[in-house]
Amino acid sequence: MSAERVIFVFVLLVAAGFFSLNVQRLIEYLRLGRRENRLDHPWHRAWNVLRIGIAQAKILRDPVAGPMHAGIFWGFLVLTAGTVELIVQGIAPGFSYEHFLPRPVWFAYSASQDGFAAIVLAAVAFAFFRRLVLHPKRLDGDHTHHGDAYFILGMIGALMVTLLAMFAFTGAADPAALGTEKFISRALAGLLHGVSPATAAAVAHGNWWAHVLLVLFFLNYLPYSKHLHVVTSLFNVFFSNTSGPSQKGVMRYMDLEADVEQFGANDVQQLTWKNLLDGYSCTECGRCTSVCPANITGKPLSPRKIVINTRQRLMETVGGLPLVHEHAAAGDGRHLLDDYITDAELWACTSCRACVQECPVSIDQLDIINEMRRYLVLSESRFPEELQPAFESMERNGSPWAFNPADRGQWAEGLDIPTMAEAFARGHRPQVLYWVGCMGSFDERARKTTVAFARILQACGIDFAILGQEESCNGDPARRMGNEYLYQMLAKNAIETLDRYQVRTIVTACPHCFHQIGNEFPQLGGMYEVIHHSTFIERLLQEHRVPLQTEDGKALTVAYHDSCYLGRYNDVYDAPRETIRRALPIVKLVEPERSRDRGLCCGAGGGRMFMEENTGKRINAERTEELLATGADTIAVACPFCMTMMNDSVKSRDADVSVVDIAEVVADRLATA
Amino acid sequence: MKIAVCIKRVPDMESRFKIAASGVAIDETGLKFDISDFDAYAVEVALQINEKAGSGETTVICLGPDVVQETIRKALSMGAEKGVQLKADSVPADSLAIAKALAAELKDGGYELILFGKHSLDAMTGGAGTMVAELLGLPCLTAASKLEFVNGKAVARRELEGAAEMLEFPLPAVVTIDEGIARPRYPSLKGIMAAKKKPLDVKPAQLGDVRVTVEKMALPPERPAGRIIGTGPDAVPELVRLLQTEAKVL
Amino acid sequence: MPNILAVAETRGGELRKVALEAVTAARALADASGGGEVHALVFGPPGTAAKAEPLAQHGADKVLVCEHAAYGKADAESMSATIAARAAGFPVVLLSASAQGKDLAPRVSARLNAPLLSDCLTVRLSDNAVVVTHPTYTGKIIATLKAGPTPVVVSVRPNATTPAANARPLATETIAPASDPSASRVKVTEVVASGGAKLDLGEAPVIISGGRGLKEAANFKLVEDLAAAFGNAAVGATRAVTDDGWRPHSDQIGQTGRLVSPELYVAVGISGAIQHLAGMRTSRTIVAINKDPEAPIFKVADYGIVGDALEIVPALTAAVRAAKQAH
Repeated sequence: MSAERVIFVFVLLVAAGFFSLNVQRLIEYLRLGRRENRLDHPWHRAWNVLRIGIAQAKILRDPVAGPMHAGIFWGFLVLTAGTVELIVQGIAPGFSYEHFLPRPVWFAYSASQDGFAAIVLAAVAFAFFRRLVLHPKRLDGDHTHHGDAYFILGMIGALMVTLLAMFAFTGAADPAALGTEKFISRALAGLLHGVSPATAAAVAHGNWWAHVLLVLFFLNYLPYSKHLHVVTSLFNVFFSNTSGPSQKGVMRYMDLEADVEQFGANDVQQLTWKNLLDGYSCTECGRCTSVCPANITGKPLSPRKIVINTRQRLMETVGGLPLVHEHAAAGDGRHLLDDYITDAELWACTSCRACVQECPVSIDQLDIINEMRRYLVLSESRFPEELQPAFESMERNGSPWAFNPADRGQWAEGLDIPTMAEAFARGHRPQVLYWVGCMGSFDERARKTTVAFARILQACGIDFAILGQEESCNGDPARRMGNEYLYQMLAKNAIETLDRYQVRTIVTACPHCFHQIGNEFPQLGGMYEVIHHSTFIERLLQEHRVPLQTEDGKALTVAYHDSCYLGRYNDVYDAPRETIRRALPIVKLVEPERSRDRGLCCGAGGGRMFMEENTGKRINAERTEELLATGADTIAVACPFCMTMMNDSVKSRDADVSVVDIAEVVADRLATA
Repeated sequence: MKIAVCIKRVPDMESRFKIAASGVAIDETGLKFDISDFDAYAVEVALQINEKAGSGETTVICLGPDVVQETIRKALSMGAEKGVQLKADSVPADSLAIAKALAAELKDGGYELILFGKHSLDAMTGGAGTMVAELLGLPCLTAASKLEFVNGKAVARRELEGAAEMLEFPLPAVVTIDEGIARPRYPSLKGIMAAKKKPLDVKPAQLGDVRVTVEKMALPPERPAGRIIGTGPDAVPELVRLLQTEAKVL
Repeated sequence: MPNILAVAETRGGELRKVALEAVTAARALADASGGGEVHALVFGPPGTAAKAEPLAQHGADKVLVCEHAAYGKADAESMSATIAARAAGFPVVLLSASAQGKDLAPRVSARLNAPLLSDCLTVRLSDNAVVVTHPTYTGKIIATLKAGPTPVVVSVRPNATTPAANARPLATETIAPASDPSASRVKVTEVVASGGAKLDLGEAPVIISGGRGLKEAANFKLVEDLAAAFGNAAVGATRAVTDDGWRPHSDQIGQTGRLVSPELYVAVGISGAIQHLAGMRTSRTIVAINKDPEAPIFKVADYGIVGDALEIVPALTAAVRAAKQAH
């Protein structure tokens, strides 16, 4: 064995050994987090990896950076095969896939190495251009590591340059050694005709060395870099729940009877291993923060920072990845909360899920925020003081506002709508329960929507009833604000009421009630089919069961504002739009700049409805401006919270635009109205 | 500081009350109960005093049937250390009788400070605290809207009609608490769990003679339904008349 | 023929309106029970005796004047001791349920070992007992309470009795405090007037609140003027208005701001969003001024005027000022 081979094998073993040591450490560090099974539904998870990971579905949502990244990513996948070949050549000179691959496959492989090297190089060049010249805003802030990014990009560029140079000089040394399929390298070799074959061969060999050493260095640099995502992101996508397998946006179940020292998370130990893996997987691209309504309007929250801080705190806790010795992780008196993340950041979140939706590697920023809010409320009773009346009111009056529970069914007086109790007294079990919700019951504006939907149900002859006085907040606002204890109390109470009336099908005009009862009650044993009024009305319209006026109605220009809990949480985007179209045949539907799964939150979610908004621009103002910019004369919503926020903001602008719920659009068009 | 806080369990005042069949009590079905507001302020004041001092012990005392244990637990979940139930079948309308039962419990407790709410939201008598002070021979300050300790002396503020008094008094003392002094904390789940394990003594209440009885309870005359009395500035004289004669607020 | 001992309250040496109410109530109670005597007990600094005339005019057969230099301010310990000492033979001791009266009455009750009936709307004697009506459950229920046997200590709610003239010849007797005020353990170090300073929203008996119907921040001047006309009013605002920076956030009334329940709440140009209603719905009397007759605020208001707030409020300010002056 030649000295050179001995040296190479030694370098290879050291590099591989150190890398595997760090991988072991990284896996070990994940064990610091709480256990959680993320191996359910492996096929769905594998599909997520294919779609989001391999096919770069989310990355490609960005029309500029998307193709750039996809080029580098796919290039890496392809070139890794070549890298293996090159490394084996270091141990066994003369090794080549050519010896055992069928001719056409070999040909394609060989061409891909040449072509993708050029593609990656071009993408890297563009990445430099983008960072240095275009300065995308989302790459800034949160003390992101620009130096790290340049270093990585430089290294990738160098890898490609050395690879192409190796090919080119090999071709210059011996044109026969370079097949016609490597047309780029051949073209480059053509430029080298002044170089002597011996020199060319030496330079080619030098580039081989440079390339493999860079690969080995790159591999070992990754664990110290935000570019660790190269290694972890496919795993992260596999283990993530943000695109299924289970229902999206469902908050984690919490066993309140468990004998634990604290509830929720104020440090990395109380997060799950998956939250920590999220930390490894974040490459600080800022897509999440750039769509965060709180961040956009100048609040202190940046979802990216939450994830970066999680990684930083984890590394601080475990002592990082030292080259020589490891020091034991001791209690340092520091915490993720307070020392990294402040209360103000956590309370600024509207739980709109835009960050989660956007993350190309399926990080769940919201899960960390939710767990930390739980800690604040359950363990320390620390929350904005204006939340206390909401909590107390939910506990005492069964609604976040201090209204008399006896008045809940007041809106239905004189409308001939039975309560479940009345129907049961007559020996009748209604097919459908109309869950009205607190806004729908007590807010004067939302009550109009409530009545509108009830009129539609009546006009269609639906056999339905309400709970009336027996309805009580399902606890969703409490849960979103971190008060799991109050939530479970209210939710269990609601489930008891629903089960008493053997309720199976529920309709509701509130996306929050819809999500909570349909998707989160199952955690507590409440199993119902819950249909949001947008979907329900759309079905009725589709079946031609709604007696509509025959003339066309007004020629409105309508901009529909997506509710987060309907859209991003439940993928209901078309039903409300279709409802408007069917009810108003000559409507002109316009879309704001941010719509559907990119829709901007109204600012009321995550309990923000019950908090002050003193910092920065108001989210509803930002959203309303965008909706008004469409030139619409009507803003349509499908959520009572969105209704309030949009209405407030439209009023303050004195804009001559009406804000209506989709049910009102349809109710207005009922024949015999 | 060793502090006792006397609290009362009352129904949520947002409720729509009904009179029970007996005609001398409210119908309690469906009502939610909690610590009376001023008493909750008093608990908060006690907790803040001891938190600021870094030491001390707060005992909450509540007179009534076993359901009041829930109310005591609430105060314990806020952070009080001990609870005492003075067991009685019901809470009498005679505040002097209540005061005697409380004084008997408080007498040998060695408390430096005894706190009450300025009155309970249900009976609205506001006598028990002051009476306890008289019965125990302690200085008493009623309706404190501020309470501080300066050089071993207590300094307090009390709102009068259109004025306020600043007062000074030595400890031990009885203080009844007005609103605005402190916002009662929201118990954390941690606090609720801890409260389950805190000591709660049950003793018979030594009520003695009860000389005040409820003869009748009635709902006040219905407020006239809201009405629009007119349009534009022309309606102002009528509004002023109604504010003077009907609402009696002018 | 039961005699009544009525405690007539002073502040800074001057009789208060509640003193006349207490004497009037005591007079009515004595007259209704066969015409016993009313003895009015008044505490004050030297010179108070000279101001006792109105007590006789309102029906005090005898005025007991307890003068002491310390009684420019209240001194509950010596006052309650003096009342208790003079209460012998009176089946009813009657006080005002004012801040001072609420402080004194339970002390007297404990000292006499006599039951207390507090904050009463009406008082009558029935055999050997006293029967009163008394608001309970934050005023949502009126209880009829009976206490006896006499003696019984009663405090009457301010403004529940209208002072009525029922003149007697003035007969004063000067008495000494039963204990030395300088030996009292609780000392009033200072009395501060709270009228001039800006009233806190939580304490103000009247709140005038403005909303977006005022059209611009400068028009809040009209709301402030109305508050000034009332004299005991504070200014509040809706969230929309504080969000827009027309008023400071501390002025916000509603779910996320202050939760208030004053005697009188005047909502000016406020439509009545749920978040606002949650913060003021429990006010005793609500007046709404709004241009939209469909506005939800009218659903909770006792009195509403439909129209432009910018025209109505100045008219209301003038009318309130006139009414206050006539008073």
